[in-house]
Amino acid sequence: MNPELVETITKLIVEKLQTVYHLSDEADDTAKLLPESVKLWNTKSHDENGKNHGFTFEHASERKEDSDQLVKFSDYTSAPNVTEQKEKAESKKSPVQCEEQMVQDGIEQPFNQEELESLISKTPARIGVGRAGLRPKTSTWLKFRYDHAAAVDAVYGNVNEELLKSLDLFKVNTLVTEKEVYIRRPDMGRKLSDEAKNMISSKCVKSPTVQIVVSDGLSSKAIDANLEDVFLSLQQSLKSIGLDVGTPFFIEKGRVAVMDDIGELLRPKIVVLLIGERPGLVSAESLSAYLCYEPRIGTIEADRMVISNIHKGGIPPVEAGAYLGTIIQKVLKYEASGVSLVQKEG
Amino acid sequence: MQTVNSDGLYVAFLFFGRWEMKHLTPQNEEIISAGIDIGTSTTKIVISKFTLMNMAGGAHMPRIEIINKDIIYRSPIFPTPLVTSTIVDIEAVDELVRLEYIKAGIRPEDIKTGAVIITGETATKKNAEEMIHHLSDYAGEFIVATAGADLEGIIAAKGSGAYEFSKISRSRVIANIDIGGGTANVAVYKAGKLCGTCTLHIGGRLIRFSDDKIGKISEPIKNLLHEWKSDLKEGRTFSLTEIESITDYMAQVIGRMLKRELTATDKNLLLGHEPNWNECINAIMFSGGIGECIYQYEKNSSDPQSFNDIGMILAKSLTTASSLSDWEWIRPQETVRATVLGAGAHTTEISGATIEVEKEDLPIKNLPVYEICFENDFLKGIKKIPFAIKEAIDMYDSYNEGQNFSIYFSKIPHIGFKEVHQLVDCLLNSMKQVKHSDVPLVIVLESDLAKVVGQTIKMIQPKQKIICIDQIQVEHGDYLDIGQVLQTNVVPVVIKTLTFHQ
Repeated sequence: MNPELVETITKLIVEKLQTVYHLSDEADDTAKLLPESVKLWNTKSHDENGKNHGFTFEHASERKEDSDQLVKFSDYTSAPNVTEQKEKAESKKSPVQCEEQMVQDGIEQPFNQEELESLISKTPARIGVGRAGLRPKTSTWLKFRYDHAAAVDAVYGNVNEELLKSLDLFKVNTLVTEKEVYIRRPDMGRKLSDEAKNMISSKCVKSPTVQIVVSDGLSSKAIDANLEDVFLSLQQSLKSIGLDVGTPFFIEKGRVAVMDDIGELLRPKIVVLLIGERPGLVSAESLSAYLCYEPRIGTIEADRMVISNIHKGGIPPVEAGAYLGTIIQKVLKYEASGVSLVQKEG
Repeated sequence: MQTVNSDGLYVAFLFFGRWEMKHLTPQNEEIISAGIDIGTSTTKIVISKFTLMNMAGGAHMPRIEIINKDIIYRSPIFPTPLVTSTIVDIEAVDELVRLEYIKAGIRPEDIKTGAVIITGETATKKNAEEMIHHLSDYAGEFIVATAGADLEGIIAAKGSGAYEFSKISRSRVIANIDIGGGTANVAVYKAGKLCGTCTLHIGGRLIRFSDDKIGKISEPIKNLLHEWKSDLKEGRTFSLTEIESITDYMAQVIGRMLKRELTATDKNLLLGHEPNWNECINAIMFSGGIGECIYQYEKNSSDPQSFNDIGMILAKSLTTASSLSDWEWIRPQETVRATVLGAGAHTTEISGATIEVEKEDLPIKNLPVYEICFENDFLKGIKKIPFAIKEAIDMYDSYNEGQNFSIYFSKIPHIGFKEVHQLVDCLLNSMKQVKHSDVPLVIVLESDLAKVVGQTIKMIQPKQKIICIDQIQVEHGDYLDIGQVLQTNVVPVVIKTLTFHQ
């Protein structure tokens, strides 16, 4: 696009935004004068906003008048003072704004409140959030940005060392040491470093029935939030079944298929890998439990299976741990996992 | 973020072609349910087939739901075998059920869930108790005898289609008025939610004729006639106008009941509590025997006139009553069979799929529910437990006879492993008050926690018999029947709501 045109449009938009801002500023004052008619004002101001988004000359001249008044205002004050005044005005206004925010969240005056609530309760998706003109409301937008930021943090964050210590998990690395590399090179996240291999060989019990492994994967938050409950509940479940469990440990920056290396090293019957899921906007702390019967180098993906969505808004972590015990029993009974398990089960 | 039901819907995640978990247990199952309705004037049986299916995504824990209900057999409408006007001839009912099962081609042991409901004037404790005792041999082990005016109304509304209508119509409030021989049971629904119930002594057999004389008048009507100073009495000849004045009055009472404006005289016909909904009713639906008199769905059944009672006259009064014409009339899907269909097809729920139960302890019948509500505050809930258990024992087993009860934990906040242990420790300590340790400890959880709670109890007290199920919503004072474990690892649960909250 033509850069000049872009500049012109940007200027126009900024100007318009300012006008709207001042307009609502004024309207605010009117509202203060007529506190009993706040609702009325709301609808009126909407109409005005609507007009401002229209492109008729008539309205533009109206705006000009308004902005002229405000230009006068800014004429006799120096630039820094303007911002100061604006800040003052904003700080004066903010409590009122907050109140309005509370009232205005979601759809204003829905046609059927109960039905809307029932629909909203059926999904974690951002429905029934209302709108401001053509755009989402500020609170919705901020929430969206917040959730997005949380997802990014989950990918780039590190697991709480205290947690690992409290669960008696020692830490090893894959071939990856940096997060950027981890993201670009999934293959390297599937291989243990030589150092890791040595450490695992020296510290872990060989050929256990069940080997539990933990990895942060794409969400360190998933581990921080859920590991303790899933891990303890799973251990209890395995104990009650009477299965022999190997020495659990933590792999930093691991991928699911890292279980193949572990299978080669320790030769357990089954590997359970608790790994952080790719974060989404619904939850950044969802954990998955991957299971595989005798994983080895060359194991095909179809032989792995997963229980996903373990977090406080999904499968409760404690219940997931207890349920995993049942699945492990099944895998051991049929000596197969994934598609092979289905085939053997008939 | 929205809080999500543990059995709710989630955003689908991509698994990069990785295989998702399936078929650890059968994903589909069909179970047979029976419904038997023994009413004041008629008895009927339906057999239905439920299809259960795992509705959870491949990588989720299983979530079994009833996805389809097929009615596979409907019996004819039989006159209820009676010894006296209020005592059911139990043996004749046994025989009737036995023969109908043969006609339907099922054996009692095929039946996994369902309900016997004894309604109207035959709904006496004596009949109900005998029925439980007798029918279990013929009708299937898990089946339950149940009675209670509120529950009748609720079941009829589910069978007639009023409940479905409210779910689809959403905004309209519908009252289902199920009028049988002895009572009119009303249940009001809005958007699939029960708003309230009411029961009236209005029915087709409240006045019976023999030849051209009045044969029998039931008590509530006698009281009413007395108040009116009417000289209409048993054994007297009568004119149609006289009878119509009574049935017209009944229609008016229904109108006032729907508006919650019952007069002192009207209350002669009230059975139990007054109308207890707060909503304004938009639509009405008539089911039951009188609904049949209005709509005549049953082509092959005996002529309604042959009942020799006021049924047809009452139906005519209802259709012509100006007091009822203000509401929209919705045609019922079922008339006289509404209650039996409700009992057979709409009383069963399915537990969560991750539960901890012992086959040999099931089925369990008529277990009262004691609710311990955590109000989303774990410590507050924990503190309630010892006192609550004591109260439950006082309430349900005050003579230490080993009468069991179930503990229902509701509104538990998100809890971790340590809290589960804390909860179980507290619960087991409190349960020491129970003298009979041989009865299973029955725990019902609202949230998906049954497996871990059950396992934890087993770890701490391996000898404790335990039935721990979840994802069932019951209320304090409800009664539960828990059926045998199905192939899909769920248990069918029949909840009998006897009390009713506003």
